[in-house]
Amino acid sequence: MADAQTAHADDHEHTPPFLVRWLFSTNHKDIGTLYLLFAILAGIVGGAMSGLMRMELAEPGVTVLTAFSGGNVEAAYNFYNVLVTYHGLIMIFFMVMPAMIGGFGNWFVPIMIGAPDMAFPRMNNISFWLYVASGILATLSLFAPGYGSNIGFGGGWVMYPPLSANTGSPGPAMDLLILSLHLAGASSILGSINFITTIFNMRAPGMTLHKMPLFAWSVLVTAFLLVLSLPVLAGAITMLLTDRNFGTAFFDAAGGGDPILYQHLFWFFGHPEVYILILPGFGIISHIVSTFSKKPIFGYLGMAYAMVAIGFVGFIVWAHHMYTVGLSVNMKAYFVAATMVIAVPTGVKIFSWIATMWGGSITFKTPMLWAVGFIFLFTVGGVTGVVLANAGIDHYVHDTYYVVAHFHYVLSLGAVFAIFAGWYYWFSKMFGVEYREWLGALHFWVMFIGVNLIFFPQHFLGLQGMPRRYIDYPEAFTLWNYVSSVGYLVMVFALVIFAIAMFDAFFVYRRKAVSNPWGEGATTLEWTLSSPPPFHQFNDLPRFDRDDAKAF
Amino acid sequence: MIRPFPTSNTALTARVFAALAGAAVVYSTQAFAQLTPGGITMQPPNSALAEEVHHFHNGVLLPIITFICIFVLGLLTWVVVKYNARANPTPRKFSHNTLVEVLWTGIPIMILLFIALPSFELLYKEDIVPDGKQVSIPADGATTEFAFANDFPESRMVRRKRHVQVFLETGGEMRELKRRTDYRLDGLGEQAVIVAFNEAPSAGETVVIRGGRSVDQRGDVVLAPSMTLKVTGYQWNWSYAYPDFGDFEFFSNMAAEDQTTPELYRLEVDNRFLVPVGETIRITTTAKDVIHAFALPAFAIKIDAVPGRINETWFRADREGVFYGQCSEICGIKHAFMPIAVEVVSRDKFEAWVDSQRAVAGLDPMFQVAGAPAAGAAKLAALAEDTTAAASAGADQ
Repeated sequence: MADAQTAHADDHEHTPPFLVRWLFSTNHKDIGTLYLLFAILAGIVGGAMSGLMRMELAEPGVTVLTAFSGGNVEAAYNFYNVLVTYHGLIMIFFMVMPAMIGGFGNWFVPIMIGAPDMAFPRMNNISFWLYVASGILATLSLFAPGYGSNIGFGGGWVMYPPLSANTGSPGPAMDLLILSLHLAGASSILGSINFITTIFNMRAPGMTLHKMPLFAWSVLVTAFLLVLSLPVLAGAITMLLTDRNFGTAFFDAAGGGDPILYQHLFWFFGHPEVYILILPGFGIISHIVSTFSKKPIFGYLGMAYAMVAIGFVGFIVWAHHMYTVGLSVNMKAYFVAATMVIAVPTGVKIFSWIATMWGGSITFKTPMLWAVGFIFLFTVGGVTGVVLANAGIDHYVHDTYYVVAHFHYVLSLGAVFAIFAGWYYWFSKMFGVEYREWLGALHFWVMFIGVNLIFFPQHFLGLQGMPRRYIDYPEAFTLWNYVSSVGYLVMVFALVIFAIAMFDAFFVYRRKAVSNPWGEGATTLEWTLSSPPPFHQFNDLPRFDRDDAKAF
Repeated sequence: MIRPFPTSNTALTARVFAALAGAAVVYSTQAFAQLTPGGITMQPPNSALAEEVHHFHNGVLLPIITFICIFVLGLLTWVVVKYNARANPTPRKFSHNTLVEVLWTGIPIMILLFIALPSFELLYKEDIVPDGKQVSIPADGATTEFAFANDFPESRMVRRKRHVQVFLETGGEMRELKRRTDYRLDGLGEQAVIVAFNEAPSAGETVVIRGGRSVDQRGDVVLAPSMTLKVTGYQWNWSYAYPDFGDFEFFSNMAAEDQTTPELYRLEVDNRFLVPVGETIRITTTAKDVIHAFALPAFAIKIDAVPGRINETWFRADREGVFYGQCSEICGIKHAFMPIAVEVVSRDKFEAWVDSQRAVAGLDPMFQVAGAPAAGAAKLAALAEDTTAAASAGADQ
């Protein structure tokens, strides 16, 4: 019966046949779904990599990874570095970015602004398939020779030369990785142009920028960051590529170049990149908090311009990743000051979310659990960022597990919680079925315990001085490494619950979703459409230029 | 408390004994790792600067961030309890409140300013290699005014009372004098700073004046480095060279598992480098292949070793002992296996060790020249001049 209805609906909407629909798609919702699938796949791979690392680090000695290298210890060392490198690259480029911008951005930016689709649907398509090509190149590089006979590039996601140059990684693994990042960058730039054009030109009549939902704002700011920062990365890795293959010496001191120049270029991209990873999450959290508090977002303009401010300041703080490279003291002092400034707009956002909840009538459905979890964990990650901003302290904790704990609190517990929040918030909208509420809540609680067990003890390791990217460590670091590895198992258990919840939703529970499951608090346009929305929405544009119509 | 410091007078007497002790003193058996199994705090500091890092982190930053986290958690808890749908069925509709918006912008700015001021002070203390100067003037029992040449560069001149410390030395014992009670200062910020004693120090005593802008948190003027340690990073070991003592150089590899204790395995090395306690040590780092990072948490220092560049930092150890660090910039497959170990020893032990290392390098002893200790000191001065000239020539290139 339900099947017949679906088939009928499809006919009515002239949905293309399967291959045409999913390979040649120009539909923003289908492309969004493809991105989400891509992100899930990458998340499984990247998460499995961190699992191998945590198992190896559970106790001192190299005992686990040797099983993958036929007992060859040096190959195991290399494998660990490869895991560190690709875990970072995969989670950043192939998990968080596709999920937030490609997935939720594609799905909901056009709908939220009342547009029928993205401005350039075909460019949207190539933007996705470039990502796939990029993923394939990255996978190939995993299996190509890097250092000696070892496979893969093991120099960290930052790829600093000379370790990433011929000196440290002469094999083709690094070249493939550079080309992979070129494609990922090109894809993101195309996607960003698409978002900027769509948001500037295709908002529903009467929806001024200041009436636009915050998620659209967050994607707009993110798109600008991408367009401005990715070319710098592309330039840096192109110079690296020519250093490696065509005898240039941009980063080779022996030829008059400078390895530190690469770091400046990389972090000029790299710092905005971390805001690229979190800003869409800010947007998602704003909607969820407002929806479940049944209150309009507190300080809407402040929230929007806080994101603009974070994006702007994000471009002028890059060298705080480089306090130990030998910068002049005055330069460090500037970057200390500039970095601390970021805490102000970020604080405005945290307090505005709480103020949105203040006086509300809050229901703690699964997305809201994730959102509240996000607010607290992001605060914890944010304040350790203030600690790290101080160069005088960073000289102690730089490149230790304190840094690892910090950026996993803002990304693994921040960005990833925002992704799960968005997933549960929009799940029924995207897929037309509902998940079992208690499974979602259980997923949240187990995951909350797991990730905190993983990452909170890493602050202790960092303060004790344990350097990051170490396959092995002195005995004194054993306890907290063990706790962290146990935390990983708890988190894996949470992901199993997630998988069960999804399987259950699609194949067992199969409850058909209503257009607005969240009630009066859900005010954005996606909740006016059916679940899932029609293949083409807004044949009649929604209008915001009459009466006192509100867009959020 | 006054720590031992290198005046030619104090160290010379012990030199002969040190020479006899020879190279055998190098490895102290009471090596301890400064790590606490399962520890949750920073490693115990072993310098005034590291103590200041601890104070700033444990006394300023940690309380502030803990308070902020608890405050946010408290607000969230309040909201969850007070404004859940059961407790508050009808949501209010406000979305602005100018006062709280001004407050939550303004208060964080003030907190950040409160953090920034000590942060800058700490940063400049860490990054500017101390240039403090010490002069020793024998007293004759009549002179009450002693001059300290304020011959620093303009930006580093002695300008404040806290930039000057005055001691009286009698028979190797140092006693710090109190300003006003014992002496007055004239001419701060001018070419010569005059220390005017209220009572003339008696003959046989030596007036020791330390002056400089590098003042540690205990109020002590930090003297300019007494030596430079040249650190070079390789895949995957370190080399240490002593340009002030004939530029002998040696490699330091991680000690094998059966060469050390289980506690120290992955920290211990086959050749530790030695530095004298209580003296300012300049460290320069570079690398031969890829980037490494030289780190010694007990002294709160970490500085990258970059091929083609020379970086500089410094430390001054308070206590003798062995202290460990680990390479802190990913450098290839054995990144985790190139630890750093420093043995902080007395001046005497250090000199004996230097002579033994010079012997290995085929050089004459520098300190144990029998009966003519002054010759050793002269040699040291000459060598120091040579290497300074060489270093500046290198910097020009």
